[in-house]
Amino acid sequence: MTLLAGLGGAAPSQVELPRENRSRAYRGLLAPGLVYLVVFFVVPVASLLAMSLYVPVQGGELGDFRPALHWQNYVDAVGAFWPQLVRSFWFAGLATVAGLVIGYPIAYAIAVRARAWPLVQRIMLILVVAPFFTSFILRTIAWRQILADESWVVRAMTWLQLLPPGGRLTATPFAVVCGLAYNFLPFMVLPIYASLGRLDPRLLEAGADLYAAPITCFRRVTLPLSMPGVVGGTLLVFIPAAGDYVNAALLGNNTNTAMIGQVIDQRFFRILDYPVAASLSVVLMVVILAIVAAYVRRAGTEDLL
Amino acid sequence: MPATDTAAELRDVTKRFGAFTAVDHLDLTVPRGSFFALLGPSGCGKTTTLRMMAGLEQPTFGNVSIEGRDVTGVPPHKRPVNTVFQSYALFPHLSIAENVAFGLRRKREPDVDRRVAEALALVELADLGDRTPSQLSGGQQQRVALARAIVNRPAVLLLDEPLGALDLKLRRQMQLELKRIQTEVGITFVHVTHDQEEAMTMADSVAVMNRGRIEQLGAPEELYELPCTAFVANFLGQSNLARGTVVEVRADGALGVDVAGTRVLVRSDRAATTGGAVLVGVRPEKITMLVDGQEPVPGQNVLGPGVVTDVSFTGVSTQYQVEVPGIGTFGVFAQNLAGAATVALGAKVHLAWAARFTFALDGREDATEGTTDVDDEP
Repeated sequence: MTLLAGLGGAAPSQVELPRENRSRAYRGLLAPGLVYLVVFFVVPVASLLAMSLYVPVQGGELGDFRPALHWQNYVDAVGAFWPQLVRSFWFAGLATVAGLVIGYPIAYAIAVRARAWPLVQRIMLILVVAPFFTSFILRTIAWRQILADESWVVRAMTWLQLLPPGGRLTATPFAVVCGLAYNFLPFMVLPIYASLGRLDPRLLEAGADLYAAPITCFRRVTLPLSMPGVVGGTLLVFIPAAGDYVNAALLGNNTNTAMIGQVIDQRFFRILDYPVAASLSVVLMVVILAIVAAYVRRAGTEDLL
Repeated sequence: MPATDTAAELRDVTKRFGAFTAVDHLDLTVPRGSFFALLGPSGCGKTTTLRMMAGLEQPTFGNVSIEGRDVTGVPPHKRPVNTVFQSYALFPHLSIAENVAFGLRRKREPDVDRRVAEALALVELADLGDRTPSQLSGGQQQRVALARAIVNRPAVLLLDEPLGALDLKLRRQMQLELKRIQTEVGITFVHVTHDQEEAMTMADSVAVMNRGRIEQLGAPEELYELPCTAFVANFLGQSNLARGTVVEVRADGALGVDVAGTRVLVRSDRAATTGGAVLVGVRPEKITMLVDGQEPVPGQNVLGPGVVTDVSFTGVSTQYQVEVPGIGTFGVFAQNLAGAATVALGAKVHLAWAARFTFALDGREDATEGTTDVDDEP
């Protein structure tokens, strides 16, 4: 709900149909979506849940498992990979905060500052979305060049003594978080932009008229009213970032940057340990759901601010 | 209390938006404690004038002062004025009570809860403090907007077409209520409206604006009884205007004006000019129709004969249109004291009215100025 509101989903408009036709029409319109969800979501999740409890076939080949209710899989999986699990949420959280810090001003500039110039707004929006026109993998690899030892970023940071002499950025947690924040930035900017774009400028005039200085107006009016966008954007960044494995694989070092997505990838496709991979996926899903639920409930009230 | 009787003052204020001049060399003084209306058609510059008082627009040149202090260039949050916006502009994320408390909290004033409760009681919404704006009706939101402004006890309360979005009945009710509240709190109100009836009902002083300037300023009855431009004559109520020429200045101070061969009298203190071409005017309710050789009362101006071309019964009164050859069409309002319409369509009548109700405008004016673009029931 909050997500949709944040994304600027149009309010459902009332379709004028006779009452008896209406419910049938709605059901008809829902059917494709329902079928899609059942085939591509409900069935896979059910089989994932089932798979997470499978046990190896005695004397079978690698990758042969049989149905069972082996709950011990969860204990084993979490016991072995909890550092990667914790790190995933830590990195995703850092990337979300970085995305918010970078993305909010961008969205504010587009939606509020450039309000009077629709052409400028359009160009800025295109610039936000434009990176999607090139491959995700290529853009992530480009970050290796940006953070390479000879790059101007490293030189500048060394000169500013933000980095010790001989310090590196490649294959560090910093690089992975940079990649995550960069790759998911548009998902932060767009919902916030949509929220701010709907903000009635007359409310800011009312704020100013009621003795609020511009900064107070922002804190008391603009920011609270853009919260649906902030909540939507942070979720759209945090959720995929927590499960991401591309950034960790391409920009990390496999020791102190490994994320749970990488582990699941390895278990599934290299080690063929399907039950552990499945149980890690389930754990990831449940933890994300719990975090999101707690977050949305908290963000739904004013005391977040 | 600052030692000035002036709540707000604009000196030679001009506001341009690109090539468009919204407000043109405007001088305006709002007396302290008055209910002041800025009346005019859309685009006349009245809202821009209000916004310059609020600080939401800055004049291109000229000076704005509030209670004797020059506030030109001072941002809105540092001005001792508050605005009731046309759209109400209530904060949707705050409760009604917090909306009303907004200004007090910014100024870090004491006793916020008590003052908010008082303000809500003043607008008769004492029980709705916990609701949010979206749970209120338009009329209730309007009251909240008023409470939110008034609670700050501003030097001037600015109202930008505050009743524009309400339906007719509620509007009439709110007009009386606004007047009551203004009397009760004694704050200076500056009320922008395009509804002449609204302005006349509520305000002590009305400034009629047209094309970025003030055409005439005065008490409602003054403006109505003695408009000094064709725009005011037509925009504020209705007027019958006929072209004539001053042919005589009498010893008793009256002007004799020739209107298409008929002599009518105008008191010289009711004439914008005492010589040459004039527009002779009279309000429709001042006219009586004489039928079948009825004699006018001595001292009355008489025009005619004319033919009744339209009769509309409106309940309280009947409105007639009388076509007078060589002069034009006159409107006549007759109260239905003796039941329904007494004069039939097509009847031949003379128009008579007391000479003291006649006014004369500059003859170079367009007699139709102010008759169009009057959308008083949007």
